[in-house]
Amino acid sequence: MVTPIYIIVALLGVAFALGFSGQKQIKAAGTLALGALAFSLFVSLEWLIGLYTETYKSTQIFTAGVNPPFSINLFMGTGEALFTTLINFIGLFGGLYLFNKLIKKGRSTFIALLMLIMGLNVVVMTRDMFNLFVFLEISSVATAGLIILNQNKKSLAAGFKYIIATGIIAGILLIGIIFMYRFTGSLNIDDIPTGNLLMIKGFGTAIFLILTSILLELKPFPANGWGLDVYQGTHAGISVFISAASGTALLYVLYKFIPLMSPSFAFALSLVGGLTFIASNLLGLKQTHPNRLLGYSSIGQIGLVVLVIGLAPYLGDKFEYIAIALLGTHVFAKAGLFWISGIIQKDNIRKWTILRKNKLLTILFGVFMLALLGFPPFPSFFGKWELITELAGNGFISWMVIILLGSFLEAVYLFRWLGYILKLEAAKKELQPISWNKYLPIIISAILLIASGFGMSYLHEHAKFINYIPLIVAAAFILIDRLPVFIKNTLAIASVGLWYYMMYPDLEEFRLIFATIFLVGGIITLLAGYAYKGKRQGFYPMALIMFAGLGGLIEAKTTLEFFFAWELMTIGSYFLIIRGKKSISHALSYMLFSLGGAYAILAAFGLATVNNTGISLDILANLNIYAPAIFILLAIGFMTKTASLGLHIWLPGAHAEAETDVSPMVSAILLKAGLFGLIVMMIKMGDQMIFGLSISYFLGWLGVFTAIIGNLMAALQEDAKRLLAYSSIGVLGYALFGLALMSHLGWLGATSIAITHFMFKTTLFLAIGGVVWRLKTKNMYQMGGLIKKMPFSFISVLISIIVLAGIPPLTGFAGKWLFFNAIMEKGWYLQGALISFAGVIAFLYCFRLIHSVFLGQLKDEHRNVKEAPFWILLPQYIILGVLIIFSAFPNSLLKPIGEFITPYLPNGALVWDGQMAYSLYGYWNGELIMYAVVGIFVAVLLWIIFWNRKIKKVKQFDIVYAAERPFLPETTHYAYNFFAHYKKAVGILAQPMISNFWEGVSEIGHSVSDKIRRIYNGSGQAYLIHIIGFIVIIFLFTFGGF
Amino acid sequence: MDTIWIKLLFSLLTIFIVLNYGLLLQGVVRKIGARVGRRYGIRWYQPWIDIIKNYAKRTKITHGIMYYIAPAFRLTGGIGLLLFMPVIYGTDMFSNFSFTGDLLLLLYFQFFGVLGMALGAAEGGHPYSAMGVSRGLAQVTAYELTLTLGIIAIAVQYQTLSITEIVAAQQGGIANWTIITNPLAGIALMLAFLAAMGRSPFDVVIAPQEIPIGPPTEFHSGLLGVLQLNRAIFPAAKLILFMNLLFGGATDWGTLIIKTFLIYMWSVFVGVAFPRFRVDQSIRWYLFIPLIIGVLAVLFMKF
Repeated sequence: MVTPIYIIVALLGVAFALGFSGQKQIKAAGTLALGALAFSLFVSLEWLIGLYTETYKSTQIFTAGVNPPFSINLFMGTGEALFTTLINFIGLFGGLYLFNKLIKKGRSTFIALLMLIMGLNVVVMTRDMFNLFVFLEISSVATAGLIILNQNKKSLAAGFKYIIATGIIAGILLIGIIFMYRFTGSLNIDDIPTGNLLMIKGFGTAIFLILTSILLELKPFPANGWGLDVYQGTHAGISVFISAASGTALLYVLYKFIPLMSPSFAFALSLVGGLTFIASNLLGLKQTHPNRLLGYSSIGQIGLVVLVIGLAPYLGDKFEYIAIALLGTHVFAKAGLFWISGIIQKDNIRKWTILRKNKLLTILFGVFMLALLGFPPFPSFFGKWELITELAGNGFISWMVIILLGSFLEAVYLFRWLGYILKLEAAKKELQPISWNKYLPIIISAILLIASGFGMSYLHEHAKFINYIPLIVAAAFILIDRLPVFIKNTLAIASVGLWYYMMYPDLEEFRLIFATIFLVGGIITLLAGYAYKGKRQGFYPMALIMFAGLGGLIEAKTTLEFFFAWELMTIGSYFLIIRGKKSISHALSYMLFSLGGAYAILAAFGLATVNNTGISLDILANLNIYAPAIFILLAIGFMTKTASLGLHIWLPGAHAEAETDVSPMVSAILLKAGLFGLIVMMIKMGDQMIFGLSISYFLGWLGVFTAIIGNLMAALQEDAKRLLAYSSIGVLGYALFGLALMSHLGWLGATSIAITHFMFKTTLFLAIGGVVWRLKTKNMYQMGGLIKKMPFSFISVLISIIVLAGIPPLTGFAGKWLFFNAIMEKGWYLQGALISFAGVIAFLYCFRLIHSVFLGQLKDEHRNVKEAPFWILLPQYIILGVLIIFSAFPNSLLKPIGEFITPYLPNGALVWDGQMAYSLYGYWNGELIMYAVVGIFVAVLLWIIFWNRKIKKVKQFDIVYAAERPFLPETTHYAYNFFAHYKKAVGILAQPMISNFWEGVSEIGHSVSDKIRRIYNGSGQAYLIHIIGFIVIIFLFTFGGF
Repeated sequence: MDTIWIKLLFSLLTIFIVLNYGLLLQGVVRKIGARVGRRYGIRWYQPWIDIIKNYAKRTKITHGIMYYIAPAFRLTGGIGLLLFMPVIYGTDMFSNFSFTGDLLLLLYFQFFGVLGMALGAAEGGHPYSAMGVSRGLAQVTAYELTLTLGIIAIAVQYQTLSITEIVAAQQGGIANWTIITNPLAGIALMLAFLAAMGRSPFDVVIAPQEIPIGPPTEFHSGLLGVLQLNRAIFPAAKLILFMNLLFGGATDWGTLIIKTFLIYMWSVFVGVAFPRFRVDQSIRWYLFIPLIIGVLAVLFMKF
């Protein structure tokens, strides 16, 4: 056990000693400085471990051998140990990272660094207020010294603003301390009486000044222009200290002062924190300078922790868990990001494409970014979960909104940035070689982030049951990313298959159906992956993360597990989608809609815990408060995935631009996650009423319009994959409608549509993907006549569209028949007519697809096109086989599903007599219809063959062409703007009104951001006015001036 | 086992009767159309002659497999529609295969032939064929909405989707016919019927003189012959469907012929009186007054 006083001794001693070293021994001096930092880290870490394992006891240290107030009084408890560990970690690794730079600038920079870290250590540990002031000043001066490391105009200005601002703030702090001494006769925090003392004249002012100055050091909005300029002006390696070390220390100071806070100040504190969190993330929207952007994010994250500190009394024993999770993430992630920024050295985030030349750094960047945004499995995920749950428990709805909104805004710019890195045109220059001392801190931060994520989940009473194995398997694929596709694909199929096999005995009802769609469907689409050559780097980890999420949804027993899986699925699919060539904006909008939906789900799950015990999914079944709100929030969340009207604009681009086998994964499989969510929700919650209206009635109409608009838009596309993407929107609209019927037949229809949609959309996307694979174009009018070149793809498309269109005798008709009966039973006649109208519109795009691509005139440049690769055809034909079986024997599909539904919705179930199904209104026998149709067809065909024995095949242009001859395939193939007349008649429905709406929302957000950020005009005087104004406002707020 | 063979036999008989009736109808209607236009017109038995002529052609060409089998799809669609429907009410044998599915089967099965034909026409590679299909599909969406509304109104009225039961409910005199008991649904259906028959003003699909004659442009000889068979059976089947839905069905062949002939005359009269709509016009037309009537029919049944 080393007494913590040695931290100060070592850092201070070495700092003095460095003064004696000459420029020649600078390397040795620098190493010595790092040694001192390492020693400090060791001491604080030793204490942390000791205190955590309860081998040590927290201890008071008095310097100079006398008792306070005449000595400096340090305290080492769990909190201090943790925070000094964080600070010393940043000190050591930040120093290591900057080692070469610091050496170049001379020993004084090492001294400044040591002083900074030493100062922060004392700031954390001290119980003496004057002492606090002194060491804050020391660290400020040291920081200012480090800021001007670069010695250009910008950093000099930044350093100057920093010293002025912190000087003023320190002055206020000092005045507060003087007042405090006047009233209490003590400078020790522990001696000051606690309670609501703010109202005692004079004494209250003292507390107010102290607290406000600490708050100001944390750069609250809007008194933080100086901080932003510092982030922008200084070297990124220095920003790490300011953001991760100083911020951490000051948050701890604020924490120490909690007992002194009056409720009104605590409220002001949380208000300031919330405002800072939202405002700085909003202002980040328009920011393009990476360091300033990170500054915004940093200030925002600290604001969030301030908010949490302000709400501490309400968070109960969860407070520390939440604060540590959020702060820990901030420290490691922000340090990592700043360090990466220091390597990249580009002043615009659009120029960051150079980062992707280095795969490891790109992955690390992704890790830090996802951690910041609270994705699993990082600590902030659990922190945010707990925070939202606790806030909901206290009925703090507006705080929930603030936190989720701020997080969302942060996601906008961070994901945009990630998109730029991954997709913008590649930089020409290579990245400079990176020395190990720059790599190491970043890698260690990432490892600690992941490790602390697991740690936090282990500490959580529910999260410890999360099944991490699928995620670990997916992560393991990162390690084997250099292997050829063939091996990785086999391993991926094997692992998904194994998981399904292990899960299978526990599956029942809907979980069986959806597990089969997710995982067996996953295996079938993965088969197409064999068509790829080379390594296909980055694909498998992400695909498996998505499948881990999908499988996790099935396995989830608690709301936390469900949400965890939901987020995983979102990340994996995002990275799959962004692999497409032109996916940059589509992936972003996919992610933003998904996140918005995820936050709605999170809020709903939070609200569901109110007046409930535990977080099992079953709590949804016995809600006694907020039930309609929870229903709506969950429905919105799930409908972002089913892409229901209004929440659909991300889908067409995302699905159309994706790779050949990714399109079916995200379209045929992923969308079903939304349906699964809706089914789970409706099973647990039933229907809900709002203002006396049933919500499912509204959902039914939404489904109807989604189906119509989706299908109509599909019919008006020129791009084959976009057509299919819109078609998915339409079909999912049917499914939503079916679920909203809340009846046996409606659910049977919806479930069978979910299954058949998975099948026909997989085959369609693969078949069209195969065509695109060969032709290198997605525009249908550039295709034509491919039936002769790609007959197997043609047959696949043909059967799929017959199923899609619901034409007997194939199984798609089952869906139509069930819906009609369900509508009759429910009495939703108008909706029913419109849904069948949507079904007829589907004929339009079905025909357009098959005609423009496979029929009509073959183009000259396609005369040597080959059939799609075998591995792309194979999964299609597996599915087609199953489709034919389901068509001929409908009860093999519908009867079991009906039995799954009966426990929940018993009325109106079908009566089966062999393959004959009876409903209340009608009847239908798939098997006999199949025989009859095939029989008639064969008879007629034989008749045709008999009469046309000597038929002669003619060439392409041998057609009746009204006294002229066809000139070119291009001018003879009727395909472009195929439904021009239809557009003329009903095109008004196809106006991009919803896209315009969301673009407007985005535009407003960015404009507001742009307007507000002009308050940061770079003038130091203006910043001082902000600070003074801030103090006045907080004063008025705290003392009831408003 | 015997019943299956008897059923098949009666099915063939049904097809035979309806085929000839359909051809006769064609001839007669063309004659009427000519006389209205003050021309002499064709001989009433010309449709038979046309079929024989086409089958006798010696030159036979094909554009590909879909083109070749499209007529099979087309005729299967027509025959299927006929056989999935109870043709003569009250007789087991002329109800054919109506026990395998209800009204909805017919509603969707009518597209079976349409789709197959469209594919074959498209493989022919003639732009007029594709144009015709594109127009036809667009128009289908419009009148299908009115049709569906009308059918829902009837299904609600009789609380069944079985055609046999719908016909059964209309027995016992004109007063029991749907067109009398549920006039809004009847009007909606009869308006939808106009486009379903594809006569002027809704004949943009084949549009003679414009895109001669749309989807079948490339067909000839025996293949065209098959299509001609269908052009006799398919409209007749639709007539029987409308008769069953609105006009009490038929208990014998005589009634069937009279009723369907009169129903057909409705579209013939409209056809000779009104010139052809452009496709966007016909869509807009259907999405206005017929749609309103259809909606009213449904709302009337609901409240």
